[in-house]
Amino acid sequence: MQSKLSDIELIEQTLAGNQSAYADLVKRHQRFVFTLSMRFSKSREDAEEIAQDCFVKAFRALASYNAQAKFSTWLYTIVYNTAMTFLRKKRVATESIDEEGAFIQVENHESAYDADNVENKSRSFYLNQAIEQLLPDDATIITLFYKGEQSLEEIAQTLGMETNTVKVKLFRARQRLKDKLERNLKHEVKELI
Amino acid sequence: MNPIEEKLWNYIDGTCSPTEQATITLLIEQDEAYRAKYQELLQLNQEFATMELDEPSMGFTYKVMETIRTENARQPLKAAINPRIIWGISIFFAISIIALLVFTIANIHVTLSAVDVKINLPAGFRLPKMGNISSSQVFKWFLVFDVVLALFLADSYLRRKKTAKQL
Repeated sequence: MQSKLSDIELIEQTLAGNQSAYADLVKRHQRFVFTLSMRFSKSREDAEEIAQDCFVKAFRALASYNAQAKFSTWLYTIVYNTAMTFLRKKRVATESIDEEGAFIQVENHESAYDADNVENKSRSFYLNQAIEQLLPDDATIITLFYKGEQSLEEIAQTLGMETNTVKVKLFRARQRLKDKLERNLKHEVKELI
Repeated sequence: MNPIEEKLWNYIDGTCSPTEQATITLLIEQDEAYRAKYQELLQLNQEFATMELDEPSMGFTYKVMETIRTENARQPLKAAINPRIIWGISIFFAISIIALLVFTIANIHVTLSAVDVKINLPAGFRLPKMGNISSSQVFKWFLVFDVVLALFLADSYLRRKKTAKQL
């Protein structure tokens, strides 16, 4: 069962030496942090490693959190930086990903679906599949906006960008996501959207 | 960028100015193409909001807490270092040193005729003989205990260092 205390109260308890309060914070945010990590790593093992690293880093730096921004915004900044470091280490720079090349496998995968399979799959499955095919930055912005309860200003703070840049990036990311959905679903997209 | 779509997305997100909002509302009501595009984007927006979050493995929280424990970071730095404890220890040692100095100075008698320093110890106070200390059984056991303790501390330090390297 998750704690009903606010993030700030749990942080205060953690700083006072109560480790179980931090465990509650981890439980509360782990799904989102893990999802964000998945947007970068594309593998569950690596995403767990990134997410785990983020929570350990956040614990170490907890005393420096000044509560001016939401805890989630502060935490997502750590996730973004950790994930970017992870990508650099793996030498998979976001800009160098050949978009078309990246989808060769996806298109082959898609061709395996027959009409019955498509009907049986849930809408969220196709949506998540399309998000996985986006570039990490696009997928992150979409996830932060729709699932992170983050405003454009907060996303800008998390990613270290201007609010207008985030606005343009969000617009483009939505366009790309729509294209991926259409590509994946072909004729079924009309039913979906 | 498609300017119509951009305006409509801003309208859906609520990031446009009140004037733009009024203009777009009017356009949606009057223009069929605008209305169709708006409906399409609105549906898409609702669809995006239904995306599911991924679930980490069952023992994720445990693993995080275990890593923190392994690193021996039982408390964040702010909680671990309590300045009052440090001040308390410092004051205790300062008072002890000052008291010892005062006691020693008060009992020193220096005569000018020759360099002769005598410390008058209180009656009944005897300094222990060094020869007896080194040969006593208690001293030997004390040394053994110190060696064991040093080995134990060195072992735990090396283990911590090794774990930190692996992480």
